[in-house]
Amino acid sequence: MIRVEKRTQLPKHHHLIAALIAFVIAFSSGCIIFLCLGVNPLTAYLAMFKGVFGSFHSFSEVLVKATPLTFTGLAVAVAAMMMLWNIGAEGQLVWGGIFAAGTALYLLPSAPVSLLIPMIIAASACGGMMWALIPGILKARFNVNEILTTLLLNYVAIIYMEHLFYGPWRDPAGFGFPGTAQIPEAAHLVRFVGTRIHLGFPLALICALLLFFLLNKSVWGYQIRVIGSEVRAARYAGFNVTRQTLTVMALSGALAGMAGMAEVCGIHYRLQTGLAVGYGYDGIIVAWLAQLNPLAVPFTAVLLGALFVGGEQLQTVLGLPSTISLILEAALLFGLFGGQAMIKYKIALASPTEQSQPAPHNNGKMS
Amino acid sequence: MIKPVVSLRGISKNFGSVIANHDIDFDIYGGRVHALLGENGAGKSTLMSILAGRYKPDNGSITVCGSTVSFSSPASALEHGIGMVYQRFMLIESMSVAENLLLSAHEKIGQGDTYQRIRETAEQYGLDVDPCKHIFELSMGERQRVEIIKLLLLDAQILIFDEPTAVLTPPEIDAFFSVIDKLRNDNKGIVFITHKLEEVLKLADDISVMRKGRLIISTKADKKQISKRQLARLMVGRDVVLQVDKEPVEPGDTILSLESLCGDSSVGGTSFKDISFDVKRGEIFSIVGVAGNGQSALVAAITGLDEARSGQLSYLENTYSPREWVNASKDHIAYVPEDRYHTACVGTMSIGDNSGLTRLSSYSTGLGGMLLDRQRMFDDCAAAIKTFNIKAESPDDTAQTLSGGNLQKVILARELSREPKLFIAEQPTQGLDISATEEIWQALLDCRKDAAVLLVTGDLKEVLSLSDRIGVIFNGQILEIIDARDADAVGRVGLLMAGVMP
Repeated sequence: MIRVEKRTQLPKHHHLIAALIAFVIAFSSGCIIFLCLGVNPLTAYLAMFKGVFGSFHSFSEVLVKATPLTFTGLAVAVAAMMMLWNIGAEGQLVWGGIFAAGTALYLLPSAPVSLLIPMIIAASACGGMMWALIPGILKARFNVNEILTTLLLNYVAIIYMEHLFYGPWRDPAGFGFPGTAQIPEAAHLVRFVGTRIHLGFPLALICALLLFFLLNKSVWGYQIRVIGSEVRAARYAGFNVTRQTLTVMALSGALAGMAGMAEVCGIHYRLQTGLAVGYGYDGIIVAWLAQLNPLAVPFTAVLLGALFVGGEQLQTVLGLPSTISLILEAALLFGLFGGQAMIKYKIALASPTEQSQPAPHNNGKMS
Repeated sequence: MIKPVVSLRGISKNFGSVIANHDIDFDIYGGRVHALLGENGAGKSTLMSILAGRYKPDNGSITVCGSTVSFSSPASALEHGIGMVYQRFMLIESMSVAENLLLSAHEKIGQGDTYQRIRETAEQYGLDVDPCKHIFELSMGERQRVEIIKLLLLDAQILIFDEPTAVLTPPEIDAFFSVIDKLRNDNKGIVFITHKLEEVLKLADDISVMRKGRLIISTKADKKQISKRQLARLMVGRDVVLQVDKEPVEPGDTILSLESLCGDSSVGGTSFKDISFDVKRGEIFSIVGVAGNGQSALVAAITGLDEARSGQLSYLENTYSPREWVNASKDHIAYVPEDRYHTACVGTMSIGDNSGLTRLSSYSTGLGGMLLDRQRMFDDCAAAIKTFNIKAESPDDTAQTLSGGNLQKVILARELSREPKLFIAEQPTQGLDISATEEIWQALLDCRKDAAVLLVTGDLKEVLSLSDRIGVIFNGQILEIIDARDADAVGRVGLLMAGVMP
C-alpha cells in the first residue's frame, strides 16, 4: 500500500532538490519533443550545449541575455514577496527603454558620459516606475486586481513605443525602417572587450545584492515580508500597507525599466521592434525558479539565457524551431512547481502488516 | 459486559524525534461520552487524528466492532462510521450550508429533497441551522452544527470533537451540551478533547488523561472518585493552584478614558454605542460579554485600528477625537489580539522575527533607522524563551509550529517589552491549558503594577479571578460597571452578560 504523508521537516537542501527535479522533468520532456521531431535527443542537447559552452563568444551571449532577465526577474520577485503579481515587467521594460532613448536623443543629447549615463539610468528607472505605479495606485486605492492591469498595460506600452518609432521619433535618415535614430555614443554602455556584455550586467548584479540586503536587513524589507505573508498581522503592527504596495510596485517597475535601458543603451542603441521580445514575461520564470531569492535570480537568469542561446543553436545547426527553448522553459517551471510539491510530501510504502516498522524519515536532525 | 465499538491498542506515533503518542489503549463505547484531557501538546489531537484516519500510526491497531481495520484517509474512517469535527472547521465559506453538506455527503443524501433531508437530521438532534444560509453568515456555533450534521448524514457512529467549546459563546455551549446528550441517547459514541475540567465533570461518562504523549489514566467518571483538583493534577503532573495570587495594588492615574464612544464594526459585526469608562494604572478593568456583542469593534476603536463614529478618547494627558486617535502615536500601548496565529504574529516567520513585529522602531539602527537589528531581536527572543519558560528550541522556530500557549507567551513577552502604560488583552487564554493560563494571568496581574490593563474576555472565571472592575457589555452597550470587591454585584455579572437586568 502506498501512502503519502506531509513531511514534518523539509530536507536540508530542498530548494536544490526541487531545482534538480525541475531539470530532470524539463530534460525528459525535451527528449520526447526531439524524438517526435525525429531528432536524436543526444544530438540535439549536444548541439545546444556546444552552442552555449562551445566558445567564449557563445557563452558571452548567454550573459547578454541574462542581463535584462536579471532585472525583470528581480522586478517580479520583489513584487511577489508582497504577493503582488507584476505581469507587467514587459511594459515597464518598454517604458524604461522609451525614457532612456528619449533622454539620450532629445533631453541631453550632448551631455558628457559621466552625466549622461547616470541620468539615463535614473530616467529609465523612472519610466518603469511610472508605468508600474498605475496598477500600484489602482491596487492600493481601489483594490483593482494587479494581474489584469499590469498585463493589459503591457500592450498599451508596446503600442505607444511603436507609435513613437513609427511616427514622431522615427529616424529621418533611416530609409523608412521603423526605429529611432541611433543614440549618441556617450549614451552607449561600455562593453567588455570582444563581447556584447555591457555595463548593464554588473549593474544588474549590484541590484540583486542591494535588493537582497534591503529585504533581509532593512525595516522596509521586514515590513514587506510581513505584509506578503499575513496582511492582518501587518495591520495589527501598524504597517502602512497602502504605502508599501506603492513602494514595492515602484521599485519593481524601476528594476524592469532598467532592463529596457540595458537593452537600448547596451545592445540596440536605438528604440526599435526588437525591444519587447518577452524578457518581462521570462522574468516571471526567472523569479520563481530563483524561489524569489534575489541572490539566486542572476543564476536562474543565466540558466534561462543559456536555454535561449541553445535554442537558437538548434535552429542554425539542426534546422529545428528555436521555440523549442520556450517549451523547455515551460517544462522547467512546471517541473519546479511539481518538485516543490513533491518535496513537501513523502511517499512511504507500507502494507498493513508491516506497520510496526518505523517509517524512514530523512535527516531527523537539522541545525 | 458491554463491548467497546472502537478500540485502539498500543498506538504509537512519532513526528521526527518527537513522540506524540506512546503505546496508547483507548476504548469508545456506544451511548457514552469519553473525555480526553490533557495540556497543549500532550498528544490528544494526534491520537484522535489517527482514529479519524488523518494520520497513520507507526504502531498499534484499531478495532471497529471486533474487526481490525486500517484507515488510509478520513474518508475511509468515515466508511467505518468514525468522523471528527476539527477545531478549524472544514467548510467552504462562500457556499451555502446545503451545498457544503452535498459536497461531502451527496451519496448519502441521494436524489430526494436535499433541504428536507437536512432539516430532518437537524431537527432530530436539535441542530438549528438554516440550510440556505452561506457559511460566512454563520456564527461559530452554527458552523459547528453544520459539521455535526455533515457527520450524521454520513452515518457516523463515533463522533470526535476537538475542543468543541473553545470557539463557542456560553449560550452556544449549553446548546452544544444538549446536542451531545441527544447523540448519547441515540447510542452514538462521543469523544471530546478538552482541557476545561468543568465540562469534563459535567458531560463525560469516561475520562482519559494524557500527558506528554502517554495515557496517564483512563477511568469511569464517578463524581465521588475523581475531583477537579485530581484531574488538574493528573493533567499537568503537579498540583495546580487554580487561584492566582492577586496582590492588592493602589489604583493610580487615569490612563485611558472613553467618553460616549460610538462606532461600527468594519467587518459587519455588532456596533457599539455610548461607551464611557476609565482605566487607571494599577487596575485590571475587564470588559466581559458573550462574544459578538460589539467587543471586537470596540477594541478596534480603542487600539486605533478602526475609526470610531463619534465620542472622544483620552490617553495619558491628551484628548482625541476618533479621527485624531487613529493617527495619533500610540506609544506604550501594548495589545494582545484574539487571533494568535494570523494577527498577533506571522505564522510562517520565525518567532525571533515575530518578537519584533510591533517593536520595529526599537530595533531600527543605521542609515537613519532604516536598517533592522535582527541579531538583537533574536537575542531578546532567546532571552524571552528562558524567562517565560517557552517550549521552543530556538528563536529560529517557525511560529506556527508552537502550541497555542507557547505562542501566546511569545506574544505576551513581546508586548510586555514595550514598557506599556496601557495593556490591552483580548481573550488572552482562549484555548490554552491550565498552566499556560495561569502564567498568563500572573503576567497580567504583574503588569498592572505599572500599567492600566484592559481585559476583554468572555470567560467569566478569568474575569472573576483577575478584575478590579468589571464592565458588562451586551448588544454594544455597557450595562453596568461593577467593583470586583462588591460580592453582591459580582453575582449579577452572569445575568447581565445574558442581557437580563436584575
